[in-house]
Amino acid sequence: MWGKLSKAVLVSSLALSLVACSAADSEGTSSKYPENTITIVAPSGAGGGWDLTARAIAKTMNETKLVEKPITVENKPGGGGAVYMAQFATKEAKNDYALMVKSPPILINANKAEGNSAYGYKDTKPLAQLTRDYGAIVVQADSEFQSLQDVLDAIKADPTKVTLAGGSAPGSMDHLVGILPAFKFGIDPKSVKYVSYDGGGEAVAALLGNNADVIATDASTISEYVKSGDVRVLAVSSTERLEGVLSEVPTFKEEGIDAEFTIWRGLFGPKDMSDAAYDYWTEKLDKLVETDEWKAELERNGWQSEYRNAEDFTTYLEDQDKVIVELLTALDMQK
Amino acid sequence: MSTLDFLFDGFAVAFQWQNILFAFVGVVIGTAVGVLPGIGPMSGVALLIPVTATLTSGLQPEAAAASSIILLAGVYYGAMYGGSTTSILLNTPGESSSVVTTLDGYQMAKQGRAGAALSIAAIGSFAAGIISLIGLVLLAKPLSNIAIKFGPAEYFSLMLLGLCAVSGLAGKSMTKALIMTIFGLLLGTIGIDAVSGIARFTYDMPILYSGLEFLTIAVGLFALGEVFKTILERDKEDGAIAKIDRVLPTKQDLKDSAVPIVRGSLLGFFIGVLPGAGATLASFFSYIAEKKFSKHPEMFGKGAIAGVAGPESANNAASGGAMIPLLTLGIPGSGTTAILMGALIMYNIQPGPLLFEDHPDVAWGLIASMFIGNLMLLVLNMPLVKVFAKIIQTPKKYLLPIIVTISFFGVYAVQYTTFDLYLLLACGVLGYLLSKNDYPVAPLVLALVLGPMIENNMRRALTISNSDFSIFLTRPLSLSFLIVAAIWLLVPLLLKLKGRSVIVNDEE
Repeated sequence: MWGKLSKAVLVSSLALSLVACSAADSEGTSSKYPENTITIVAPSGAGGGWDLTARAIAKTMNETKLVEKPITVENKPGGGGAVYMAQFATKEAKNDYALMVKSPPILINANKAEGNSAYGYKDTKPLAQLTRDYGAIVVQADSEFQSLQDVLDAIKADPTKVTLAGGSAPGSMDHLVGILPAFKFGIDPKSVKYVSYDGGGEAVAALLGNNADVIATDASTISEYVKSGDVRVLAVSSTERLEGVLSEVPTFKEEGIDAEFTIWRGLFGPKDMSDAAYDYWTEKLDKLVETDEWKAELERNGWQSEYRNAEDFTTYLEDQDKVIVELLTALDMQK
Repeated sequence: MSTLDFLFDGFAVAFQWQNILFAFVGVVIGTAVGVLPGIGPMSGVALLIPVTATLTSGLQPEAAAASSIILLAGVYYGAMYGGSTTSILLNTPGESSSVVTTLDGYQMAKQGRAGAALSIAAIGSFAAGIISLIGLVLLAKPLSNIAIKFGPAEYFSLMLLGLCAVSGLAGKSMTKALIMTIFGLLLGTIGIDAVSGIARFTYDMPILYSGLEFLTIAVGLFALGEVFKTILERDKEDGAIAKIDRVLPTKQDLKDSAVPIVRGSLLGFFIGVLPGAGATLASFFSYIAEKKFSKHPEMFGKGAIAGVAGPESANNAASGGAMIPLLTLGIPGSGTTAILMGALIMYNIQPGPLLFEDHPDVAWGLIASMFIGNLMLLVLNMPLVKVFAKIIQTPKKYLLPIIVTISFFGVYAVQYTTFDLYLLLACGVLGYLLSKNDYPVAPLVLALVLGPMIENNMRRALTISNSDFSIFLTRPLSLSFLIVAAIWLLVPLLLKLKGRSVIVNDEE
């Protein structure tokens, strides 16, 4: 009995000293957390931007031994990320072992009127922005459309004749990337026909199968299909031309459309993440972006590196939130 | 180089000693994953990715990729073999694709033919595995081109056909089957709508946002329902345990199963090729088709061996078919293939149009190893049948708690919520009440799977056509599915009007 009690006292005093340690020295916490397998969730099907980012983080963290515990990646598709967001903000709010990769939809879904999500970035703990990517307007290789201008002219002439598809719900990112040029071109964004699929992979399938005329997707994921000669990219949403496979592709601006759209991707922890876990991840992510393995991953996926640590990322999100609200207001789709 | 040359090169890769070992480990784990409810092929494969990454870390990148994908794919199709075991023995489907196997498999087990059911499932799975692999080798490119032509309209019509074919799952009354279908469709609307992102019937309860979990409903209705039934109606059964006469199927069994196996394999393969349709749908379609083609449809649901042979072949063939869009287009057709794709990407190998050109060793090595793996599974599973078949001889007072435990454990392992445990219990009670009153539960389960797919594809199709419903009639494939669906519904009705007695429509 006494033995048990003294053991309990010992354990609790140990725990106390660990907490004290974590305040003074973040190294001390890493010995306690993580104790289990960590899961990074990509709230979409496999093969999309979130999925690739989640897998790149998991792979590099494990390969460089920055994180010794295995990291698995899970796909939780649905509602342009809104389905898992609800779960992440509620069920997983205290689960230090569930992380999520997300991008502008976390802001868009929380701000738009139709099909909104009750949860936004404020229901998470932003850990870091890791990459940026851009939107791309893509057609089949033998499409009649030769330029973004052709597509816009066709939509303007008869919006019922052109089907735009994307891997996420109406009012979310792929949709915004697709109709942004149309809006700037003077087309009523609501008249543009948009079909949503579960993830970028399905959208590409729809394009290749002639079930969509144009798709809006991420510049990085489309490269493989450009290489194989199945599709052509008409324009990208960056401010300057991209490198690599898409270096020949003009930007929106070059095509006479005054618009740009950056797809940042970052890692989020649950809202009530413990301080130990939070410190652990901010420290590990700081180290991750410096490794050669991570740089190789960026290179291979055609991602532009853009690192913001937890603090900067949170500030950035606040600014971006305002930008998105402005954009949605212009499109008459704000909450 | 011709396809055959590539295939031989593939065998050269697959016959390397470490790859034989990897394939073996994969199929053994896969069988275990399939037998244990709660851990499906998807989580099984996902959990093993880090393990294989460690195991293959000493190899060249290309060889490492080939070896680990060989192991992971082994888990995938191995699980399809194992999935039937608990369905047949305990009426507890381990994966959604073996739900339909419970209908006749469990009845066979009750009659003491568990051995025959298990071995025919293994033989059917083997035959289906080989047939779908031959299909994969010969038809990969042309089929991927056809699959991609499947637009929302075609999916909608195909799935509507699936729903109309529900009559094939009906017990005595078509009306009751249709009621259950509608009930399943209604349940399927719960959750956040994938097309618009709007929450429906969730009453602001986040737990409902992702909808009702299919496996929870199926295990509740089938397994727990059966448990309650056994307990409450104990006096009717004398408690005698069905005796297992033999482990291997009889000549008659084999004869009865041969055609369903071939038919199930072909059907499963082609449905598997379609992204998003998957093994569950394939097994349902196969069951319905067997009942339709059978000379003794009245035997279905009472232990017809064709009702086990067909669906079990179909779900295995579907897993082979699903490799086609994955490998040739980089489009995963199911959750598990999505994870396999992730594994390939981890090794810098991008599945897609360039895979067979850029990484022939990986692609063909995988295909060749699947031939070997299927053979291993057959050799492995036949002796296990004897062991598993013993389970059914366990006295009821031990067996029922085991089923309850497995059901709760399995559901919790998938969902991690107590909500699903309550749902499981509720479905168990519901399952008992429904089957007591002759309401068939299989149509409910099928409708729950098909409902969201039908709805999303219908809305996509209508967006494309500017809300013009003729899109379903003007596209030839879509039209032919609709015609078959109409025939399916109308012919029994007409026959009945003419005064002919038709089994499926036999209302009392």
